[in-house]
Amino acid sequence: MAKRIVLDLDLCCGCRSCEAACKAAFKGEARIRHGDITGQAYLPLACKHCKEALCMAACPVDAITRDEETGLVVRSSFICIGCQSCAFACPFGVIDAPLVRHVSQKCNLCVDRKEGPRCVDACSSGALQYLTDEEIELHEIGMRMVSKDAFMRRKA
Amino acid sequence: MKTIDRSYTTTKKTVCPFCSFGCEFGLVFNDFGVSGVEYLREGNSEGRLCPRGSAAAAYLNHPKRLSMPLKDGRVVEWAKVVKDIKKALEKPKSVAVTFDRNITIEEYRALAAFCKKVGIEHTASTYCEPEALLRRFLETPSTLTDIENAEMIIVVGDPFNQTPMISKSLINWKLKSRKNRLVVIDSIRTHTAHFASDFCQVRAGTEALALLGLAGESIGTDDAAVSGLTRERIAELSSSFKAARKGLIIVCLSFAHCFDPVLLIEGLTRLQQHSGKKVMPFVEFAGFDGSHHFGSVIELAKKKRIKHLLNFGELFPFYYPQLGRTLKGVNIYATSPVRQNGYVTLPVALNLEKQGSLLTTFGKKKLEQAITPASGARTVTDIIDYFSAGSTKEAEFSAPSITVDVKTQVASLAEKARVAKKKTVTLLGEKIAYDFLGLLEAPMLKVNPADADKLGIRQSDTIAVKSKHGETDLKARLTHDTVPGVAVVPAEDPDVRGIFDYEIVNDVVCFIPTEVQLWRKE
Repeated sequence: MAKRIVLDLDLCCGCRSCEAACKAAFKGEARIRHGDITGQAYLPLACKHCKEALCMAACPVDAITRDEETGLVVRSSFICIGCQSCAFACPFGVIDAPLVRHVSQKCNLCVDRKEGPRCVDACSSGALQYLTDEEIELHEIGMRMVSKDAFMRRKA
Repeated sequence: MKTIDRSYTTTKKTVCPFCSFGCEFGLVFNDFGVSGVEYLREGNSEGRLCPRGSAAAAYLNHPKRLSMPLKDGRVVEWAKVVKDIKKALEKPKSVAVTFDRNITIEEYRALAAFCKKVGIEHTASTYCEPEALLRRFLETPSTLTDIENAEMIIVVGDPFNQTPMISKSLINWKLKSRKNRLVVIDSIRTHTAHFASDFCQVRAGTEALALLGLAGESIGTDDAAVSGLTRERIAELSSSFKAARKGLIIVCLSFAHCFDPVLLIEGLTRLQQHSGKKVMPFVEFAGFDGSHHFGSVIELAKKKRIKHLLNFGELFPFYYPQLGRTLKGVNIYATSPVRQNGYVTLPVALNLEKQGSLLTTFGKKKLEQAITPASGARTVTDIIDYFSAGSTKEAEFSAPSITVDVKTQVASLAEKARVAKKKTVTLLGEKIAYDFLGLLEAPMLKVNPADADKLGIRQSDTIAVKSKHGETDLKARLTHDTVPGVAVVPAEDPDVRGIFDYEIVNDVVCFIPTEVQLWRKE
């Protein structure tokens, strides 16, 4: 069953533990970024492995493909030519093309680790969770950015 | 022939030594050494780690890791340094021994026994941060149940940023019931303040006044006004907190964030006595007491009665260059895990590389020596053995008690907070786990957009920050989290710490909010 990273904004305390965990694991290049929304909430952003992945369509050399088994949108650093087309195409702005390596970087949900993504395990407040679609339905997910009173939103 | 298996790794469980939360995590080794950290889902932290814990492997493999003693930036033999220190120890009355952080409880006790045996009279803590004063509250261990059972929690500082591991308990407690009341006292709108039921935004550096007010101390109408909180609000909070069946005071103090940290600790103690509630402190490291406060050692050094200073730990004197200038005539021998210039530096093992115990908010925790010390690094006990082999006895110091003259200190604090600021900005320090020793991000200066407009500063501009102690360049981040006239910087970097002003209050060295000039660099 495919799982995905889910963010509960009610719980996010903006500590950037997720970003640090990613940065430490991927040699200084964080693949999850932390955005500051209107100074009220903090939004960790990682690749969503979209069903219709625009980055995949934009890639001129087919370096980005979908893994049929896991459903992940994966990028081959060997084929990537660093043109940044995927970075421009991504509607969420989560693909990075650092000048040092000249290839794009994107989240692969830590496929090398059987326990799942490191950012989820590191998350100090439990705001990031790694869930299947069925599990997501059962969860109360809060969105602090929508309203100021976190308590009200969770029970609404 | 030995073949290298790149996929083979082992994990050793250890305790994170970077703050008093004491998270448990695993260090991952492969054939080439430490390769990273693993999240073990054990202990209070349930395997979660803050940015500091995630960067632990990077700190062990720090590119500036020291392997030989340095003198004036040049490598020297251990034998030469040992000979120099032995010579200095022939006149123990002219030697002061100081400790800061990155030493275990056992190492501290061995050091205290060494000082008593050799006849060194002047020992002090050089952990010159207000959080070192919170050590007294660490003596009573806390549990996370204290948060779960509370009806009202008063938070001083920003635990979401400073000790993010507490955020899960705190957020879940707040969301559990509408009646649970979280009050945050701070001078800037922090992540924790955004989440609070009541955010008491005090004037820069005046948290002590608010705490004394909450403790029911009569500090005068004007003084209450200086803190920016009305007397009615203070009275309501004070009575609600006292009436709450169960309550808690959580404290996370930042470097150079309040004008009088000694008074702030006095305020905390009085609030604890007044309300009967527990104090749960979170510190980055637990410092150790000496027989004196460092302020009195500085006075003796000025009078040339102290000629040599041996510092065991990792911070001093590199983190406080302004103090180093005051001690210009003193020979300073300091242990440090990373390369620094200017003083005689002895390579020391990090806590992760030692066996012993650490004092955490939740009681003592054992360090299992997950890894042997880096090449050339010695533990503190190894270093003492050079001068006094076979000393196995243990001792402790207790720092002289501090007598706080509340009335005078309140008046002095109020005076500082009232100073009319025309061309300068008050610079405050803050702690952000993500700015860990420059391993993850360079410090950013938070400036209010109103100040930025006046000074012609735009987002991400490089800004020169100048105080009477020095100057440094920082990137600007415009935010309404700070009020006009106040700028905030994470104080992890020695260059940043070096610009802050300090005062010696009750013999304690206190770093305080500092008047600085800002301008945009072309």
